[in-house]
Amino acid sequence: MKNTRIFALIIALVSLLTLTACGGTTPAPSSSPSASPSAPANTDAANLADTLTFAQGAEPRGLDPALVDDGESSKVIVNIYEGLLKYAKDSTALEPCLATSWKVSDDGLTYTFELRQGVKFQDGTDFNAEAVKYNIERQMPGNATTDMTYADFVYGYVTKVEAPDTYTVVVTLKDKNTPFLSNLAMSMAAPMVSPKALQENNGSVMEKPVGTGPYSFDRWDKGQDVVLVRNDNYWGDKAKTQNVIFRFISDNSARVVALTNGEVDMIDGIDATVIDQLKSAGMTVDQPDGMNTNYMAYNVDSPIFSNAENRKAVSEAVNVPELVQSLYQGYASPADTILPSFVPGFSSDIKQVAYNPDDAKTILSKNGVTAVHIITYSNVRPYNTANGDVLATAIQGYLSKVNVTATIDSYDWTTYKEKVKAGDFDIAFYGWTGDNGDPDNFMSLLSDKDPAMNISRFNDPTYLELINKGKTTPNGDDRNAIYKQLEQIQVDQNPWLLVSHSKLLSAYSPKIQDYYYHVTGNVFLSQMTKLK
Amino acid sequence: MNIYTANTKGLLPVLKYIIKRLLLLIPVVIGVSIIVFVIMRVFSPDPAPVVLGEHATQDMVDAWRQANGLSDPLYLQYFHFLIGIFTGDLGKSYYTKTPVIAEIMARFPATIELAISAIIFASIFGILIGAISAVKKNTLVDSAGMVTALIGVSMPIFWLGILLIILFSGILHILPSTGRIDILLQPKTVTGFYLIDTLIAGNFAGFWSAIRHLILPAVALGLYSMAIIARMTRSSMLETLGQDYIRTARAKGVTEGRVIRKHALRNALIPVVTVIGLQLGSLLGGAVLTETVFSWPGIGAYTVQCILKSDFPVVQGVVMLVAVTFVIINLIVDIVYAFLDPRIKYNKKEA
Repeated sequence: MKNTRIFALIIALVSLLTLTACGGTTPAPSSSPSASPSAPANTDAANLADTLTFAQGAEPRGLDPALVDDGESSKVIVNIYEGLLKYAKDSTALEPCLATSWKVSDDGLTYTFELRQGVKFQDGTDFNAEAVKYNIERQMPGNATTDMTYADFVYGYVTKVEAPDTYTVVVTLKDKNTPFLSNLAMSMAAPMVSPKALQENNGSVMEKPVGTGPYSFDRWDKGQDVVLVRNDNYWGDKAKTQNVIFRFISDNSARVVALTNGEVDMIDGIDATVIDQLKSAGMTVDQPDGMNTNYMAYNVDSPIFSNAENRKAVSEAVNVPELVQSLYQGYASPADTILPSFVPGFSSDIKQVAYNPDDAKTILSKNGVTAVHIITYSNVRPYNTANGDVLATAIQGYLSKVNVTATIDSYDWTTYKEKVKAGDFDIAFYGWTGDNGDPDNFMSLLSDKDPAMNISRFNDPTYLELINKGKTTPNGDDRNAIYKQLEQIQVDQNPWLLVSHSKLLSAYSPKIQDYYYHVTGNVFLSQMTKLK
Repeated sequence: MNIYTANTKGLLPVLKYIIKRLLLLIPVVIGVSIIVFVIMRVFSPDPAPVVLGEHATQDMVDAWRQANGLSDPLYLQYFHFLIGIFTGDLGKSYYTKTPVIAEIMARFPATIELAISAIIFASIFGILIGAISAVKKNTLVDSAGMVTALIGVSMPIFWLGILLIILFSGILHILPSTGRIDILLQPKTVTGFYLIDTLIAGNFAGFWSAIRHLILPAVALGLYSMAIIARMTRSSMLETLGQDYIRTARAKGVTEGRVIRKHALRNALIPVVTVIGLQLGSLLGGAVLTETVFSWPGIGAYTVQCILKSDFPVVQGVVMLVAVTFVIINLIVDIVYAFLDPRIKYNKKEA
């Protein structure tokens, strides 16, 4: 008897494996309508799939825009929520969203927003001035809790919010602060959350998000995926695809295989090594410039680089375009200014000092510079996909050609930040990932008093004055002209050598139409479609 | 009295034994809690900057530490943690603000489902290969079996996992590479085990999808254990086959097949069961790499992320949970022993 049972088991196992093999020859459809938990509605065209699947490298921290600070959360959040303002399609210029228009008073302290009418949150409550007031007051100085990571950045200047009528909101700031408008388009802190949902969930909608966006939250299977469904009451162009799934696949190569195997439709967080593999599998690679800058800073407090001449000479010794091409293989563009090209205030006619090793050699030998101390980080950063060691070694090579010996000390990121703060270096490597797409966010690095931000310790009264002027000038040509002047000061003074803007690499299946990955690193899925 | 208990057949001694073993859990819990608490405090970076991000000022950091009890003296922090363990409150994740119990329970079934599938795969194939190798000692079959075992022991899990993904998903396109189930077929959570939940819901497409997703990770995770079990079975079988009672059985005219199954294999399995139990325990803790490679939403990969983020409450909670599970699995193994080997008694002193 037992005999037969064991045989039956073996036969069952073998047939299971065989069946799997057979069943696999026709890839299973990504959705079978009968078993779907939320029955897909009719699609516009019969040949469109009802589900889009996006795979990212990590799980979101949470889905309450006030309580998170990570890009993985942000990608989901922008599909559920909206803010008063939003960014233009391929830049960080500002456009109306839940606010249809806004006025800034002449003293620059009072902002009056006219709200879009007839908008409802996904839980059916009305979006109105009271809701905006509730959201801002929640994160205002005094009310914000310690874990609201962006509250101070976005609303730190706010002293008062008023709702004079149902569709008007008046915000008062304590100082003039033009970047405030850019802050309101961010995916952190700024998106509007349903006050009712917040009240019902003890002031945190980390796992029960309710916004006004084109998709509403369906469920979150921890460690696996977040599922969103179309918000049929959306005020604008309704989402074209019924379901959206964000999946979390941490291993890079597994994410690539999941895309080529048809398990997911879009992936991001990839690096240059897998591009060929993706392209040969027929996938499309999307690569806009990212909102980040990779740079090498001179310590202007150090004996060598307190002399501006030496800073310029070392910059001249490095062939930036060649360096960027060899390190990043075309997946980063050489930088001439700290601003990425799509940020307002960027000027294409500003150029860093050009490669001129002969001039560099003359100046450095005249000033007796023979050795410099470089510190760097040992890991990969979003703005530097080769790691800090590789970058430092490349610079060391360029310096040896102008008879300067560089010693490199390399540390893990946490230790490195301490070393940078301590300031015992001539040259250090760093970078910046923008928050709100405002030029001030990049430019004010060099005016910051905190050496962890302004690692060059650059301190120039003219620069500081212009930064303050930029903060208080309304958006427009006058303001952009100020940032052009600031860019020019950087070129003249050489507090840093700008290296590159790294591209945002993502890939999608040929079935996906109207793919849209924004320069802020967010993916907007509502207008995308997928062919069956 | 002593003689009486010693001769008692039935459940009483077993129950006593179980209670004794369960009481032993208390010192284990305290010991493990001290170790994990100290390790997290000494070797992990400060969680505040990780949680608060790049914009955090020193004031914000201080306020956050205050709010999360991290500015208390260490002994007080430990005391709160210990109270929490015994009252079932493990705190909230620093990073997501979700209660640790909820975070763990959302993921633990996935790990158990994977570990049990892997151990079933490992046991069936390991015993089969080991037994056949022993019976056909020094033949080509034996060598093939032992080479398979050698490969199984030597191959790093993550590498094997990636090879399996590349072959079965990347090239052949016959199995999914990641996840537990086709997301749109996902059952309502009842037990958290998708194989069971889909059957409860009568969702056979979902059941099939769950099996397909389970095959590659279970094989990758189970191959090492399979190899260990195969080796153990083979050597144990060889020893048993040399025993006098096997010769006696053969002399009585029992068929060879029956000798092997009834007399040799059953007796050879006793040490193998110990190994299977230990392997299951280590699979629960050792699924980290498999979970990462296959994006399996289990506890292992999650814990590693939490260690990197210095999410103390979660790491502490997981370690406690795994320690308790380990002890319980060992207890189960010891009980299973008795059923396999009537010579084993639980009141050893008396016997």
